[in-house]
Amino acid sequence: MDRAAAFDKVTGIIKPFVKNIEALKGSTDATRIIEDLGVNSARLVDIILAFEDEFGISVDDESADKVRTVGDAVQMILLKTATAS
Amino acid sequence: MASRFDRPGLRVQEFVAQALIFLTYAALAAWMKFGRRFTIEELGRVRGDFMEQAGAERGPLLICANHLTLIDSLVLQWALAPSWRVAGRRGLFAWNLPDKGNLAAHWWWQVLGYLGKCIPVVRQGTPEQARQTIDKVAWLLARGQSVVIFPEGGRSRTGRVDTENAAYGVGRILQAVPETRVLCVFLRGRGQTGYTDFPARGETFVIGLKRITPATVSDGMRGARDLAVQIVGQLREMENRYFDDALVDR
Repeated sequence: MDRAAAFDKVTGIIKPFVKNIEALKGSTDATRIIEDLGVNSARLVDIILAFEDEFGISVDDESADKVRTVGDAVQMILLKTATAS
Repeated sequence: MASRFDRPGLRVQEFVAQALIFLTYAALAAWMKFGRRFTIEELGRVRGDFMEQAGAERGPLLICANHLTLIDSLVLQWALAPSWRVAGRRGLFAWNLPDKGNLAAHWWWQVLGYLGKCIPVVRQGTPEQARQTIDKVAWLLARGQSVVIFPEGGRSRTGRVDTENAAYGVGRILQAVPETRVLCVFLRGRGQTGYTDFPARGETFVIGLKRITPATVSDGMRGARDLAVQIVGQLREMENRYFDDALVDR
């Protein structure tokens, strides 16, 4: 999976939890999930679990805590899917 | 578990709070009864239910309640057990997790918070801050203490149990101390229509209790979510029953 495909999938997964849809439309790697997109911090867990289901990966607490931006999520997924394959 | 730097402070706080419990309770009860003219419907039944469902046993107890006002935990502590019972059983004097910002508003709130076994927490804080809070709570529970927690993560902005925004910290606590008993408590003033800082003067509170045993086959975040969802779901069910009964009573 290339980075662009991962980015699209990540934003698709985040979308149902986003309050600021406009920010999501213009999102980049640097877009902060909680602060910029208005995702409730409690829902970050749901997003991480959705990543696990979608990409067939396992995300530990430490990795989950490091996900602050869309780019962090993409990077983590690329790393974990590469390791898994 | 709580860091070795936190533990002495929590022990001292527990000791001081327990030593002054009659004073704290008397002040709390006087303010509620005479200052605010609050009453609890069927207070004897509520206290009996509490002892029957949770209070009679020793060991860690997590009191999970819905949340609509800043003083819900005070009302609960007053309602669930009288001072003499809490004085004899320090585990029944529950710890609370108020918002640090709210508690910092007045110096006397900080003093009362200390004596009321409050651990100030940062709402919407960093994962590290959340983990520190969970560690403290887990350590207290492992010592056989009781803790009041609001699984919704804050006062419900909808005025009803907020399943959409509920946090999963309560699940993580249960994973850390699996032997913890869980008591779901539904608390609502008869005149409470939404979330407020304080209940209205003269408010009458209705309280329902239900002990549950949340379970999951998953671990990690997924397991924490499963456990938390069961608790919030129970609170929602109790709330639905409250409103169904209110319709019947009309």
